[in-house]
Amino acid sequence: MTNLEIYNNAFIECLGVTEDQLAGLKYQDVESWDSVGHMGLMAELEDAFDIMMDTDDIIDFSSYEKGKEILSSNYEIEF
Amino acid sequence: MDYVKNNRMLSLLGQRGTFGTVLNELAKDDERIVAMSADLARVSGLEKFIKNYPDRYINVGIAEENAVGMAAGIADAGKIPFVTTFSNFAAMRANEFVRHFMAYMNCNVKLVGLSSGFAMELFGTTHYGLEDVAVLRCMPDITILSPCDCMEVAKCVETAVAIDGPVYLRLSGKMNQPIVHRADYEFKVGQAITEKEGSDCVVYATGSMVSVALKAAKELESENISVKVVNIHTIKPIDRECILVNRDKKCMFSLEEHSRIGGLGTAISEVLSEEGYQGRLIRMGTLDEYKKAGTYEYMLEQHGLTVSNLVNTIKNNI
Repeated sequence: MTNLEIYNNAFIECLGVTEDQLAGLKYQDVESWDSVGHMGLMAELEDAFDIMMDTDDIIDFSSYEKGKEILSSNYEIEF
Repeated sequence: MDYVKNNRMLSLLGQRGTFGTVLNELAKDDERIVAMSADLARVSGLEKFIKNYPDRYINVGIAEENAVGMAAGIADAGKIPFVTTFSNFAAMRANEFVRHFMAYMNCNVKLVGLSSGFAMELFGTTHYGLEDVAVLRCMPDITILSPCDCMEVAKCVETAVAIDGPVYLRLSGKMNQPIVHRADYEFKVGQAITEKEGSDCVVYATGSMVSVALKAAKELESENISVKVVNIHTIKPIDRECILVNRDKKCMFSLEEHSRIGGLGTAISEVLSEEGYQGRLIRMGTLDEYKKAGTYEYMLEQHGLTVSNLVNTIKNNI
């Protein structure tokens, strides 16, 4: 599985969204991406990529695209 | 909810978020549970609870005394109200109401002290919860719980529901909190947990300071100093046995994100003095002065509540 597929799957599994909803998806755009859903997503991504995210990154993780940017620049995950 | 499976998610939420999440879960099967807050629903992680159970949430506004007074009436009607506010307001602004309704009348109210210690960071001393345990510990019959990580918060909330009487739940630390317990374990009110065995000395820690004590103990292992770490999750009633079992140690330490006067250290010293302990108890907590406000880590550093200071204190005293 590619990193992008792993990343997408985390959103689909944790937030119950479909793949076509991912582009442009922002925090609180869907009901499931609330504060608790956010932390569930972060925990899933940590587990999937075997990383431990900093608090600042967890707070900055405000959208599907921003998340990719954070993981690329701070955790060496290439998409 | 499977707390072990969701352990990391809960730790990311921090103790406050975990509290609201767990209360929402428990409310599904227990219609007696009511949430109340002095205008701090979001901070208490109660958003989902309010959405799911709008008729079981009351925002009293910034009126902590009224929150406790109303909760007493609601408890009298057979409900189990959880009242949330910052720990300093819970213990001090609402103090007389807590005394009358929780301690004296024994109403089944669960008072939740949010962000105790320095978790309120730049809000400053007016919002720091440094004296709450001291203020509440002298009131009869109030169980005081102080969880060390988010899984323990979940266990404390479950326990608070089960206790038929007043409870003060002291929440500490920030989000992305260290995980102390990775596997499930037995939690019993008034029974401390030995998180690490050790032979040279013992550190009694509570709340956010348990993970600090464990890190210090690990660091000291490399210097052949063996430190026992005990998690005192119930400050009242205190586990006398777990304290007295270590009276052969010539030196003991207590560690808490609370004033070193009146909190866990004082409770332990009361037990030890009553039993004629001949050694030393070194109480580490916040200093007896209000320092300038700052970030969480800065404040802990200012008051010596760090791994390095605990390591040095132990090395200098054993």
